[in-house]
Amino acid sequence: MTEEELKRFYLALRDTNLSTTEDLIKEYIENQVSPISILNEGLIGAMGIIGQEFKASQIWVPAVLLAARNMNKGIEILKPELLKNNVESRGKFVIGTVKGDIHDIGKNLVTMMMTGAGYQVIDLGIDVPKEKFLEIISKDHPDIVGLSALLTTTMLEMKDVIKNIKQTFPNPPKVIVGGALVTQKFADEIEADGYGEDAVRAVELANRILFLEGKK
Amino acid sequence: MTGPKPSTPKRRFLSGLFGGRKGDRISVGNPTSIISVELMEKTGIFFPDAHLDSQKMAELSAAGYEILGFDSIMPEFSVQQEAEALGCMVDWGSPTMMPDAKTHPAKEVEQLKIPENLLEKPSIKVVLKALELLRSHYGDHVALIGKVMGPWTLSYHMAGVQDFLLWTLTDPDKVRHFLDRLKEVTIAFAKAQLQAGADVVVIADHATGDLVSPKTYQDFLLPVHQEINQRIGGPTILHLCGNCSDRLRLFVEASFDAYHFEWQVDARMAVQVVNREMSLIGNIDNKNVLFRGTPEDVYKQARYSIEAGVDVLAPECAVPLQTPLENLKAIVEAAKQGYSSRGNS
Repeated sequence: MTEEELKRFYLALRDTNLSTTEDLIKEYIENQVSPISILNEGLIGAMGIIGQEFKASQIWVPAVLLAARNMNKGIEILKPELLKNNVESRGKFVIGTVKGDIHDIGKNLVTMMMTGAGYQVIDLGIDVPKEKFLEIISKDHPDIVGLSALLTTTMLEMKDVIKNIKQTFPNPPKVIVGGALVTQKFADEIEADGYGEDAVRAVELANRILFLEGKK
Repeated sequence: MTGPKPSTPKRRFLSGLFGGRKGDRISVGNPTSIISVELMEKTGIFFPDAHLDSQKMAELSAAGYEILGFDSIMPEFSVQQEAEALGCMVDWGSPTMMPDAKTHPAKEVEQLKIPENLLEKPSIKVVLKALELLRSHYGDHVALIGKVMGPWTLSYHMAGVQDFLLWTLTDPDKVRHFLDRLKEVTIAFAKAQLQAGADVVVIADHATGDLVSPKTYQDFLLPVHQEINQRIGGPTILHLCGNCSDRLRLFVEASFDAYHFEWQVDARMAVQVVNREMSLIGNIDNKNVLFRGTPEDVYKQARYSIEAGVDVLAPECAVPLQTPLENLKAIVEAAKQGYSSRGNS
């Protein structure tokens, strides 16, 4: 995909009009472009630029929400084509706000960015008990589990979830954590495998864990 | 010319609020909650009761002055008092959990229902009653701070954060209509708090530096904040979190008396940029210092803010409920050192 084409995908994701993304994806499918290329080079490539702009404070949360909305629509149209081609996701990511905590905007931004980066995301929502995390790990075998907490009390719940995951599974998934009051130091203390300061850094962290540290 | 020595909490705070005489030391205030679990244990008054019982609200808030030695008392701990009055279902939480709105009942302007008897609604009335009680006990010598949510925060309550933020791009007219309707709640509640005995009212409006751009503030909120300040008439403090280094002048333009700011905004830079046209209240770091640091860490940051020329010393935002008491006390200790560094005050 050329620079020029990537730019079209980028502008489509920034467009308040949902049909711009729809029309673009349909046009590419009609022109026999491989759905894998539309997804990886087009949508995920454009979302990558948006993530970097967000990180650099060139754009703010509303633009990220808009891009995620448009991208979801794009993937919905692309899905039948992707299924025909047996496309594998980049990795499987389970995320949830731990038990006792009902805050979700941070978690939702991570979900959007991880989806935008090509991960298959299973979002367990808010107030998730540790049993639910354990259940989904045995059933779906995610590569990475993300735990979110906003409150000081629920941060301690993270520690418990991590301990349980590591005790239950001989080859546990990597567990990464985030939330307003969570720090790298705290993540180290509770033996998390990583800490993401914001949604873009969470994606970078996941990529690093899976691809650079050789899990995949 | 340093003014009266020793000053009283109220005189010290008001002087800082209006950028006046410096007195013997900086004032320590709290535009947002400083209630911690330890303070609840010491007073025997706990969340959630203190959100909904005016006597308990007043007594627990007074612990900030009685136990910690702050110069101000601010009785509204949560951001959800208005939410319930406007029809959101609110989970009032527990001693370790702040209240949260569970439902967001208005996705369209027509669904916004502002009750005619707003000030009589239990979650609103409790704050007004608490202020009246505080005025009769402390109004002569301690600064009383009121707090209301601005129309941006009220829109989050009514519509949900994500939808409302998305509308700033997809449906800007709807955003303007929401702000226009909901600003009436802010103004009415603020005026009532001033009448009940507050010396100043905090307008908390979470168009935060991490969520939206300076241009979004300028386009949507600046004119609304200007009108709010005009119509309230009494003194106001803006509380708007996140890194707002890039929009401090806009808050000056909005005519707030003071801005309550975060550690992410460098105090020296902020003092220079606002150029005494607005006071600065802040900005001890909650996450790394008050919550997880030591009294010595608190002392160092507090001294930095004092020497930078901040007008009133305060935590940057509502403190985490597990914040150690000794760290909160360390803010006051740092202020008591006066304006020059330790050892030569």
